[in-house]
Amino acid sequence: MATRTLEAGAAGHGAEPRGKRDDDGQATYLVAVAEGLWEEMERDERVFLLGEDIGVYGGAFKVTEGFIERFGAERVMDTPIVEETIVGMALGAAMEGFRPVAEFQYADFMSSGFDEITTALARYHYRSGVPAPVVLRAPSGGGVRASSFHSFNPEPWFAHSPGLKVMCPAFPTDAKGLIKSAIRDDNPCVFLEHKWIYRRVKEKVPEDPDFLIPIGKAEVKREGRDVTIVSYGMMVHHALDAAETLAQEGIDVEVIDLRSIVPLDTEAILASVAKTSRAVVLYESHRFLGVGAEVASVIAQEAFESLDAPVVRLAPPNVPVPFSPALEDAYLPQVTDIEDAVRKLSAW
Amino acid sequence: MATRVKDKKAAAEQWRVGLSDDQLKDILHKLKLCRYFDERMEALYRQGRLPGAIYSGRGQEGTHVGVVYPLHDDDSLFPTHRDLSAQLTKGLELRRVMAQFWGRIDGYTRGRDGNSHIGDWQGNRTWTVMSHLPIAYPVACGAALAYKRRGEPRVAMAICGDGATSNGRWHEALNVSAIFELPVVWVVNNNQYAYSAPNPLEFPVPTIAERAQAYRMPGVRVDGANVLDVYQATGEAVDRARDGGGPTLIESVSLRWRGHAGHDPAKYVPKELLEDYMQNKDPVKRFEELLRSNGVVDDTTVKELDERIQREFEDGYEFAQNSPFPEPGDVTKGLWVEDGYWTSEPGRGGGTQT
Repeated sequence: MATRTLEAGAAGHGAEPRGKRDDDGQATYLVAVAEGLWEEMERDERVFLLGEDIGVYGGAFKVTEGFIERFGAERVMDTPIVEETIVGMALGAAMEGFRPVAEFQYADFMSSGFDEITTALARYHYRSGVPAPVVLRAPSGGGVRASSFHSFNPEPWFAHSPGLKVMCPAFPTDAKGLIKSAIRDDNPCVFLEHKWIYRRVKEKVPEDPDFLIPIGKAEVKREGRDVTIVSYGMMVHHALDAAETLAQEGIDVEVIDLRSIVPLDTEAILASVAKTSRAVVLYESHRFLGVGAEVASVIAQEAFESLDAPVVRLAPPNVPVPFSPALEDAYLPQVTDIEDAVRKLSAW
Repeated sequence: MATRVKDKKAAAEQWRVGLSDDQLKDILHKLKLCRYFDERMEALYRQGRLPGAIYSGRGQEGTHVGVVYPLHDDDSLFPTHRDLSAQLTKGLELRRVMAQFWGRIDGYTRGRDGNSHIGDWQGNRTWTVMSHLPIAYPVACGAALAYKRRGEPRVAMAICGDGATSNGRWHEALNVSAIFELPVVWVVNNNQYAYSAPNPLEFPVPTIAERAQAYRMPGVRVDGANVLDVYQATGEAVDRARDGGGPTLIESVSLRWRGHAGHDPAKYVPKELLEDYMQNKDPVKRFEELLRSNGVVDDTTVKELDERIQREFEDGYEFAQNSPFPEPGDVTKGLWVEDGYWTSEPGRGGGTQT
């Protein structure tokens, strides 16, 4: 095994992510993910990390900073730039009893490992009965002026590959609880972090090492009577901002955060629409055949009798994510777009 | 004097590369079984009595049997759809293989896949084959990594054809296996054609084996017509991997006698080339002659063996026809581990009529 000689940290061990909380004990979304990984690695020796620049460098976004000092180069495995092999190797190790967590530097680069993800990893268990407990982590999404190859939302690709569970948390607590659930799950999981949220959102995240968020369960992030917004990821935060403004106008918005795309919590969606009779489906993947297309279809088919207005979809047009701030803002649904859509719907 | 006699005797026995009579007969059984199976299944396919597809491995049995024979039971094998003979050599039951071809519940994939897209990880440590070659090469790296991490004396072997060596993953996997010194044996079944593309359209170097140099691992080219040559070269590679010596690339050369799949008449293969291989480089015939000339088998034992193989095939055929189809209502089962489908007895309510 090609191992490296490591300089021990100042205290002779890696810096625990919990030490990176702020003075009030709040954790950013990024630190929350790191805490989840760290705790699961301490809990279960079968868990190991692999990916590009995750060890000595600590990862492109520094999620795994300090991990190699604590867990060693075998469990925090730096690889060459070989996305197909990273995924395939994770699958092979999982078939032999390990629980690998592979990091992609950006979700965009998952396309470089696409075949191993959607053909090998996704379809293996259905055909063989062999569990493949692999987690693929990747920073996804736009809004950070990172242009076409560092802003992508690949969740529809993987949601459309039967056999993969897909998560897109919006809050630090959910991110920590879901990454821990994903690592403990016996199925392959695609865990899409959002880089816009990484350092913007902080929470007092639970410290109980067995705190988990169930995969496949949505959560009502804001209760309301008039209009439901169904969303996930960065758009949840935009929805909550819009809801504040709309509340001052007397429109009471309910915000459902899906948290997981697969399995999709249709029960939570339908329960909210039954209450409000109006739904905006807000999402960051492309509008055309994106995640929200399925959500809108479920509402139209299952909640037709509850609806007082057509289901509205708000999502990016079917073009690559552009760079120019003027273009990216036109591409992504903005808070004002959400407000306009809700006003129009509540006046229907 | 005595020493000289002993040396002479040892030299005379070198041909058997340390294998006992029973082992040699076992190899002959596997070679002949694989050949017979391949021929009979093609006949059934052409008669319209077999659904789906077939991917003949005929002419390549020397490679398939030779590379797998040195493996231990708990070593893993990552083959392709061309390598059913390798899976049979690793230990898959003919009955369940045939149930798989007819889409029955007793097939290894419970009807979720067909033909040689088969595997038995739980029992014989073989990968359930996928078509996107060499998709299992990276996966073999992961299995080997697991053995190395746990200090287990186990080996992963992956097989692909010459065609898959043009794909980027082939190079990724060899590269990674060398960097991390993984206990892997990479086998390339060079049958000279990637579907219709001949070797010169696949790679610019004279041999695939020499590409091993670029990844700082031994590269060995063997004649797939001689099963014992294949066995010996692979055995050294398997031992080296097991002893911590890292990966080896084995290129075993043969010719694909039949088309890429059952529908392909393979008119692109020159007739003279095919005739030369079928007449002069038949791995099954050559091995039978070798054993006959050394007195390991004779007319009687070969006849018994052929009859035994016919019985095995008929038994497998009957078993497959009598095995029910999967329960149609179970179509969504088995996707998630927690649905319990794969750890419980499957529904057998699909009947046996199409």
